[in-house]
Formats: sequence, structure tokens, C-alpha cells
Amino acid sequence: MEFLAWVEQSGFSVWLRESPSVWAYPTILFLHTLGLALLVGASMVIDLRVLGFSASLPLEPFKRFLPVLWLGFWLNAISGVLLVLIDATRLLSNPLFYFKLGFIGLAVVCGQLIAKRVFPRWPAAYDWEDQTSCRVLAGASLFFWIAAITAGRLTAYLFTAGDLAASVR
Amino acid sequence: MDSIIVAFSTWLNKTSLAWAVIHYAWVWPAAETLHFIGLAMLIGVIGLMDLRLLGVAKRVPFAPLHRLLPWAIAGFVICLLTGVVFFAGDPFQYIHNWVFQAKMLFIVLAGANVFAFYVTGVFHKVEELAPGEDAPLPAKIIAGVSLVFWIAVMYLGRMLPFLGEAF
Repeated sequence: MEFLAWVEQSGFSVWLRESPSVWAYPTILFLHTLGLALLVGASMVIDLRVLGFSASLPLEPFKRFLPVLWLGFWLNAISGVLLVLIDATRLLSNPLFYFKLGFIGLAVVCGQLIAKRVFPRWPAAYDWEDQTSCRVLAGASLFFWIAAITAGRLTAYLFTAGDLAASVR
Repeated sequence: MDSIIVAFSTWLNKTSLAWAVIHYAWVWPAAETLHFIGLAMLIGVIGLMDLRLLGVAKRVPFAPLHRLLPWAIAGFVICLLTGVVFFAGDPFQYIHNWVFQAKMLFIVLAGANVFAFYVTGVFHKVEELAPGEDAPLPAKIIAGVSLVFWIAVMYLGRMLPFLGEAF
């Protein structure tokens, strides 16, 4: 806790939090939203295709979209770290924040497993379209991204385990 | 125009929707969560179509990618409906707010851009775009403009509390 308070009180965190400039806190929040749109948006499109929507759409050439997806990921990893620096004690003591991180982790693992099947190093090694496991992964990926967005948004409203319990009562 | 907007806002603010937004603490966060999910659906589908027309992942055939458009429309509708929830709860923090006005303007401009894509025959030309085929210049311009407008909509929305002193 002391370390968190120290992080929060460091010069950089104070500037990010207290600067009236739109280039500080507001811009970091915007970049976090933009990254979400790129990462979750592109992931959702791949998931929908794997689930069977627009079945004539070949996924293999989507390889070229992956840098956009990763741009979104790193944009959010970096802006996310900055948002934690600004508000360390409140975020890191909020159970929802750990749910959010957990859901992101699970969504990324699903994404990697889907990528391994859909973008094989040696094409035609096997056909992912026949695999139920690939569809299950795509469904799970959609679920985990939606859960991550939900948990992330709610960190701004519910702060403790008590708040969480009260909200579902 | 202004008196119509004020009259509409006054009416909306007296509906049971506005009452629910004000009296149930969970409505606002729930609407915000859905607003972000809708945003990801809209930007995800539209953004990849725009990038394909601009020449990224050219081996993706356009017509089957375009078949995912209903998901973008669904995302837009989710954002529109949840946007009405925010607006109903406190319309007067928005109507004379330049950031909100600019956001609405960019949504209208993005809509006009979509209209231009379909009615000027550009869509017809790219509809049969085969794998590896480059999109014609008008399609690239519309795709680039689309990306700029939607990113502007997100930026202005995110700036509402900061430049616009609304939430």
C-alpha cells in the first residue's frame, strides 16, 4: 500500500492526474478507448467469422490485419499502465480491476489459440473449419472481451467487494 | 431550431426513461458498458472494411467482408439507444455543449459518408473486388474519411467530461 501511495505521489503521476491539459489524463483515456476499439473490434470480427458468420470470407489473409490488433493491444497496455500510475491505490484495491485483468488474460489466450489454428505456419496442415474446439474458443473469446469491458467500465462505479455484493443484492 | 431542441429535451426529461436513469444507480453504468461494447462492434467491422479498401490485407475479398455489416449496424444501434439513455437523464448538460454538438455533427458526417458510398456507385464498384485487387481512388477516399470521422466521434465522446464539462 505504501508503494502504491508513493507511485501515486510521484511527479509524473501527479502531473498526469492534476495537469489541466487535455494532453494529460483525457488523452490517455481516449487512447485507451481507441485501443479497445482496435483490439476488441478486430478480435470480434475474427470470432464472428470462426463462429460461422459470412462463411465465404477467407480468414487466412486476415494475417495482415493482425498488426492493427496488436497496435490496439499495446496502446491499451501502455495507456493502462499510465492510468494505474494516476490512480494506483483506488484501482489496485478494487477487486473488479483484477477481474478485468483476468478476463483480458483469458481473452488473449483464446485469441492466441484461435490464431494458431486459423493462421497456421504451414497452411493446409488441417482445416480449422471442421473443428468444434475453434468455435468454442471464438465464443469464449467474445464472452471474455465483453466481460473485460464490463468489469473495466464498472471499476469507475464500484470500488470494494462490499459495493459489488450490494449491487447484486 | 434551438427552441425545438429545448422543447424536445424538456419533454424527454419528464419521461419515465429519464426517471429510471435518475432513480436507478445501475442504469448509467450499464448503459456506458453497452455503449463501449457497441463501439467495439461498430469500429471493428467498419474499421477493417475501411482498411481493406485502403489496401491493408488486400487479399481479403470485399463482398464477404461486407456481409458482416449487420454487426456494425447492431453496434451503432446499441450506441444510439444507450446514447438516448444518457441524454434523457440530463439533456441540458448536452444541448448547448460544443463538444456534444461537434460529436453529433461528426456522426451526421459519417452517416453522409456512408450514404455517399452507397448512392454514388462506389459500393457497386468495390462489391466484386477480388482477392489482391486494389480499390479505386474514390473508394479509398471514402474509407479514409470514414476512419477519420469515426475516430473523431470517439475522441469527442471521450472528451465530454473534460472539454465539455458533461459526463
